[in-house]
Amino acid sequence: MNNKFKILVVEDDSNICNIVKTILETNGYQVIDANNASNGKTVFLSHRPDLMILDLGLPDIDGIDFIKNIREQSDTPIIVLSARTNEADKVMALDMGANDYVTKPFGTDELLARVRATLRDNRRNANGEKISKTKFTTRDMVIDYEYRRITIGNNDIKLTQIEYNIVELLSINAGRVLTYSEIIKKIWGYVDSGSIKKLQVNMANIRKKLGETPGENKYISNELGVGYRMNMIKEEVN
Amino acid sequence: MKKTKSIIINLMYMMLILVVAFMLSLTVGNVFHTDSLIPAIFTLAVFLISIITGGYIYGVIGSILSVLALNYAFAFPYFKFNFSISENLVSAIIMLIITVISSTLIIQVKQNEKTKAEAEKEKMRANLLRAISHDLRSPLTTIYGSSAVIIEKHNELSNEQSLKLVKGINEDSQWLISMVENLLSVTKIDSGNVKLNKIPTVLEELIDAVLVKFRKRYPEQRVIVDIPDEFVTIPMDALLIEQVIVNILENAVQHAKGMSELILKCFVVGENAIFEIIDDGCGIAKERMNNLFTGYYVSENADAPVDVRKNGMGIGLSVCASIIKAHEGTISAENRKTKGSCFRFSLKMEAEDSEQ
Repeated sequence: MNNKFKILVVEDDSNICNIVKTILETNGYQVIDANNASNGKTVFLSHRPDLMILDLGLPDIDGIDFIKNIREQSDTPIIVLSARTNEADKVMALDMGANDYVTKPFGTDELLARVRATLRDNRRNANGEKISKTKFTTRDMVIDYEYRRITIGNNDIKLTQIEYNIVELLSINAGRVLTYSEIIKKIWGYVDSGSIKKLQVNMANIRKKLGETPGENKYISNELGVGYRMNMIKEEVN
Repeated sequence: MKKTKSIIINLMYMMLILVVAFMLSLTVGNVFHTDSLIPAIFTLAVFLISIITGGYIYGVIGSILSVLALNYAFAFPYFKFNFSISENLVSAIIMLIITVISSTLIIQVKQNEKTKAEAEKEKMRANLLRAISHDLRSPLTTIYGSSAVIIEKHNELSNEQSLKLVKGINEDSQWLISMVENLLSVTKIDSGNVKLNKIPTVLEELIDAVLVKFRKRYPEQRVIVDIPDEFVTIPMDALLIEQVIVNILENAVQHAKGMSELILKCFVVGENAIFEIIDDGCGIAKERMNNLFTGYYVSENADAPVDVRKNGMGIGLSVCASIIKAHEGTISAENRKTKGSCFRFSLKMEAEDSEQ
């Protein structure tokens, strides 16, 4: 019996593909791989993996187009592998429908954390019970969705409505980076020239209230030029 | 945007010079009662237009206008156009020839300056390349050698031995990564028309990103952070500035011997945001001060068996300098009176365009 998660790795560099494969296989995932987009598409359609890890710089098709192509027929989560230099690429991939990204060069921990978070996230979506959970916990912070209350240890954290909405949104997507425009659209419904600043100010207040200090953001980490991510404590394995 | 602006400015210069020439000609005509000076005045005007605007088009337009003005106002029949007189036609042609020649000369001179600057840049690039290839060799030797040993002898090596080798590989690839990041930044800036991705960046988020990155590499080194409490955004290419700060912090860890305290400070003075990275280590040697940000000082003692990492940071600091320069900021380093050194750079606070 094989009930492992099946992960498709689409990467043209065989060394990197090897590393990713080794990391995933030694951590209990089943891995299939493809070295370009058209092979990737074929394997994807025939194997129906639970997750796809996709290199953006493929030889045959531009990675962004590939995501678009896949998204037309499937919601299978996609994690993008990208080079550090271009924030715009990452944002575009995320906005195009990728679920998360890992920057090359990456560490084992980072890759595994993204994979776990994405798989967990997607499972919940699939069951259609996204917020069926009434509580979210990360470290010593508890978010009570029903009473819209946040506590850290024994302290109530007093947030404004907007601030709470942002934290809730991030927690629902915990482990995953949300781009600035994604957050703005979900919180305010529209994007205008001042909205990034609005979000930044709100985030600054949230950080202050949660007692975060630069370099040690325990709950929400910021991805410079891309967005924000609610951290998850080392994932419970299921 | 900028192009139309410069066209308008050039056109304005052209008109101004022509109007001045025209007025001058009128007064000269009244004072000296002769027309002989007038073509000379217009020739000078056309020449000036070529120099100031530095383009053929303005010169040619200017000369045509001058010819028309001459024909209309200062040649018989006065205040009437008349191109049937061959004298007028010849003067027009001469005027045009002068314009074209002077414009050509001016453009050539400007081109020369450009090639000179280009050559300078090329030289810098060659230096950089030489320094880098030198610096790359050592970590690559480690990586290649260690991995080869592991492949060939994996049966004979003890766990401990292979772990040690792999750790060496890991460490040196880390160093290669930071080197490559530096190089990418340099090429980003050096590629002719600098296109910085300047966006208002929240200071706190920048510092956070810097510290996260720095801690990954040096988990043991504590950094004392001192930034304003209020919400500050600074327009910058955040990834590049992040790199500047990380480079300087790393520089301190690697060079400031005996350091016990590393401080990262930022404050706003008037229009500028000032960043300071202060350590209490051994300070900077005098002979290094002069070319701290410019020289890839590897080239001076290329054969000296110095630790690779020490050489590498010479590149790191010059990368910092070019990043800050591209931001139109300033960067400097000094030894503190008490102990250690202080690296300081400043960035302009106001946004470029009509932000917000």
